[in-house]
Amino acid sequence: MSDDSSLAILLLGPAGATGLYWFLYRYYRNTDKSHGFERETAVVAKPVTGSDEKVGENNGTRETRIDGDNVHDYRERVQRVEDDSS
Amino acid sequence: MSNTNSPPPVPPYTGPGSPQEVPPAPGSSPIDPATLPGPIREELEAPDPVAIDTSAAELKDGLNRCPKCGATDIRHKHGTDLLVCQYCRHEWHGERVEEEFGFGEGHDSLEGTVIASGARDIAADAAHLMSFKCTGCGAEVTVNTENAMTARCHWCRHVFGINEQVANGAVPDAVLPFHIKKDDAVARIRQFVDKRRLFALKEFKEQFTPENVLGVYLPYMIVDGKTSVDVAGKGEIKTREYTRGSGKNQKTYYDADVYSVKRHVDFTVDDLPLESSSERGNLDTSKNTNNIINTILPFDTKNAVKWNASYLAGLNSEKRDLDVEELHPRLEEALLSIGRCQVEESMKRYDRGVRWERERIDVHGTRWVSMYLPVWLYSYQQPGSGMVHYIAVNGRTGETMGSVPVQQWKLLLAAITVGTFLEGIALWIVGNGL
Repeated sequence: MSDDSSLAILLLGPAGATGLYWFLYRYYRNTDKSHGFERETAVVAKPVTGSDEKVGENNGTRETRIDGDNVHDYRERVQRVEDDSS
Repeated sequence: MSNTNSPPPVPPYTGPGSPQEVPPAPGSSPIDPATLPGPIREELEAPDPVAIDTSAAELKDGLNRCPKCGATDIRHKHGTDLLVCQYCRHEWHGERVEEEFGFGEGHDSLEGTVIASGARDIAADAAHLMSFKCTGCGAEVTVNTENAMTARCHWCRHVFGINEQVANGAVPDAVLPFHIKKDDAVARIRQFVDKRRLFALKEFKEQFTPENVLGVYLPYMIVDGKTSVDVAGKGEIKTREYTRGSGKNQKTYYDADVYSVKRHVDFTVDDLPLESSSERGNLDTSKNTNNIINTILPFDTKNAVKWNASYLAGLNSEKRDLDVEELHPRLEEALLSIGRCQVEESMKRYDRGVRWERERIDVHGTRWVSMYLPVWLYSYQQPGSGMVHYIAVNGRTGETMGSVPVQQWKLLLAAITVGTFLEGIALWIVGNGL
């Protein structure tokens, strides 16, 4: 067994304890809950338009997701721009 | 894109577990309850209070005088949207604002900012205490609009309701009457807490008296809007997955194509609710539990009726203290989030995800209606921290959410016990070289 995998297995206890604590804390306090207005509001949208242009490659990475992936984090605000000359 | 502006100020608390995160899907759980110890599993798997569908019947409102006998002692008939005369028992309905003022149509042609009369700016010098001359006997009667909208003349028993829209923002355009009765709300709160007793604060359990729940009308702005949202960023599509090395040093690598992606969506929203009380709109979960009240949204606001103070008789109300202009930044945030949600479907081909870097919003038109929405509210102030924990029941659908204070040492003990057990297994695996 490699040192890496031994270390990972030994982290099972602390990770399990932390995970259970946060899970139960949230279950009682519900600090992660709010109105899911993105999906619960009546929205009538026209078809989405846009463009996709290949600009490069990211080869040989060990990351499973793009750096800064926020496609599902609708409430994470990014740089706001004022005109549409993009 | 050019002329960049810095993003609007972020709320004070945005870390894990904050309501600034997209909330988890209803009924979802990050841990499979089957893997947890029996007592915890039993709590998790107990049924939740059921929310009911109130695709309501006709709602009504009327004058403060009974249309049949002219008496002023008018009450809301609980569990319905009816008003009932306490003198002749006549019952009647009011007009739904949706049809009366055309709030349910014309979203696609909205331009500029349309503000219903009850949502106008609050006058800076407006007083909370308002005096009225009793039309029955001429006595002066005072109503504190901070928490009540009706009063009874102490001389002739005439009942007053504040029906004309006054400059202090206390009178909204519409009200959504309570449908859920107090007994039902009490049962729902009890059911909710019964699912959370094992690690609940001892004092909370000892003092738990759901019969003390209060019916409160909370102030909201209900907004219709027509908007365009643009987003731009980078997306990656996996082209190859391979391993290098062998045995213990084997590692997985990925190749990906990087794309510059842009999306544009035009949409209209119908009846987006925003808290119009600055206190209720503060969802900082490190300081308060207002997110609980936020969670029981939405309401069937389509069924709201024209304002009539008689609906509030015997119930509490909170006054609005935010104007349309002050709510604009929150509206834009919400519309941007909705826009980002709308374009998500078109990003499925990017299997390694998308990093949105810039966003732009163009609000073409909005329509604002001030509304009182019904909430059953149970509150408990935690000794020491002073944090007020709410358990709230949606007065229309019965949707229930709450914050139950935890007994920290119990929770830590449970977590450490489970952690120690898991660590024992880990040590056994490592020790035996499995």
